[in-house]
Amino acid sequence: MMSEFEKVATLDEIPAGGRKSLVFDERAVLLFRVGEGVYAVEDVCSHDGQPLTDGKLAGMSIECPRHGARFDISTGRPLCMPAVEPIATFEVRVQGNDILLRAP
Amino acid sequence: MSSVLASPAVKTAPGFTAAQFEAFLRTLDEPAWFTARRRAAFDVYLQKLQEPLNPEEYKRVDLRAFQPGKFAVSSAAGPARFETLLEKKAEFGGAVSHIDGHCVVNRLDERLTAQGVLFGSLSEFVRNKREILEPHLMARAVLPGADRFSAWHAAFCTGGTVLYVPRNVSIDVPLYSLIGLSAAGVADFSHTLVILEDGASATLLEETGSATAENAGLHVGAVELLVGAGANLRYVQLQNWNQHVWHLARQAGRVERNATLQWTVGGIGARLAHIHQEVSLDGAGASGEVNGVTFATDRQLLSYYTQQTHKAPHTRSDLLYKDVLRDHARVVWRGMIRVDPAAQLTDGYQRNDSLLLSEDCRADAIPGLEIEADDVRCTHGATAGQVDAEQIFYCMCRGLSRYEAMHMIVEGFFHGVYDRIAVEAVRETLSEAVKRKLGIGQ
Repeated sequence: MMSEFEKVATLDEIPAGGRKSLVFDERAVLLFRVGEGVYAVEDVCSHDGQPLTDGKLAGMSIECPRHGARFDISTGRPLCMPAVEPIATFEVRVQGNDILLRAP
Repeated sequence: MSSVLASPAVKTAPGFTAAQFEAFLRTLDEPAWFTARRRAAFDVYLQKLQEPLNPEEYKRVDLRAFQPGKFAVSSAAGPARFETLLEKKAEFGGAVSHIDGHCVVNRLDERLTAQGVLFGSLSEFVRNKREILEPHLMARAVLPGADRFSAWHAAFCTGGTVLYVPRNVSIDVPLYSLIGLSAAGVADFSHTLVILEDGASATLLEETGSATAENAGLHVGAVELLVGAGANLRYVQLQNWNQHVWHLARQAGRVERNATLQWTVGGIGARLAHIHQEVSLDGAGASGEVNGVTFATDRQLLSYYTQQTHKAPHTRSDLLYKDVLRDHARVVWRGMIRVDPAAQLTDGYQRNDSLLLSEDCRADAIPGLEIEADDVRCTHGATAGQVDAEQIFYCMCRGLSRYEAMHMIVEGFFHGVYDRIAVEAVRETLSEAVKRKLGIGQ
């Protein structure tokens, strides 16, 4: 059974190109606002299991601050070594000013 | 479920601020020496909150989703009836049960009482057995200043189980202790203190469990095992919470001259469990054996930080942890054997084996040695691997379902550690817990 969407943040909390860390579904999540879109990924690098929180964001890719692995924030797909596994992503819905997430 | 939720547990306000600490103290009827210790520990706790956790120990333990404010100490015990795995498996010479941090069962065979054995509730013994408790309780093994969680535990300790066995008294029957969580959002700070005087012997089987499958809880615990010269202690802790409980514990054993400690830990439940486990071999000829059986599924994270410290010559330590992981689970084991300069002719061993049942689980095994003596034998090893698909196929060709085949393989994997556990009831209980978790017979 699919879980329900849940409000986790508002658009005005995140400037364009910005990010927000939060806990959702008992997991650490990173929200990004890129252009018109909002994206949510689990804040854990699939390579070393540590946070991606302060990693550099370039376009749609987040870079792990320790070993340089990069991931697509819309799909979670790994874009370069040393990561070979994807990171988890969350379904995002924007309703007015509200940002809602649904657990996978 | 409604009966549990409707239990009359009135909690202090969520959180663990100074005001809430004072409110908690007012609910207790304790002697001044113990209250003074709590206050000192609370100061340490506030100070430790300002400091980062030791990255060596906590780097792989993701506590970002941990929200202590969701939990509070309960002012009332949950229901005394409690379904457990271990309790019915053997005849016990005594039993102590705590539910939601309150003692609900407390019995000891009269013959043992007559021999001077004490087995009961910590809250009671701090009041009337100060001479026995004060020199040992959080003074030799788990110190309140060790880290944030041990200070937090020492300040908010909700009681626990004490076993004291006088000199040369040998207890042939095992004793049983239960730490249970019942109502939602309860924080339990149980302490287990075992004191064996010289030449004594005992077996204590302890388990932790939840009354429901869904009520979240918090356990910040401590275990102290003090084994006197020539004494022999067998201690088992089977952690079998539901998967919404946070378990943070510091556990330490101190083993004197020619004494033996056999320590078995089972890690089955919990949303996240982190256990700091130390065995210190303090006297010549001391011996410590540590067995670990862990089975993690779904999004569980079970973490063990183990330390075997050799402080005297001719000491022996032997640690074997076996982990099975499935789904997105994660098990972390970081082990260290430390040998002091005086501990010549010691024999230390540590090993961790992980069996991965899914593509998405992850096991981190980090063995380590720190040796300052020059005539020792210290070895370690770690393995990780997946179940061989051909083995499953072979079993299924002989009429077993996939689950049954998987169970046989998992059981076979754990057998190496079961064989080291002398108490049959513990082997059976662990085996049953594994079976339940694999979904067999449901």
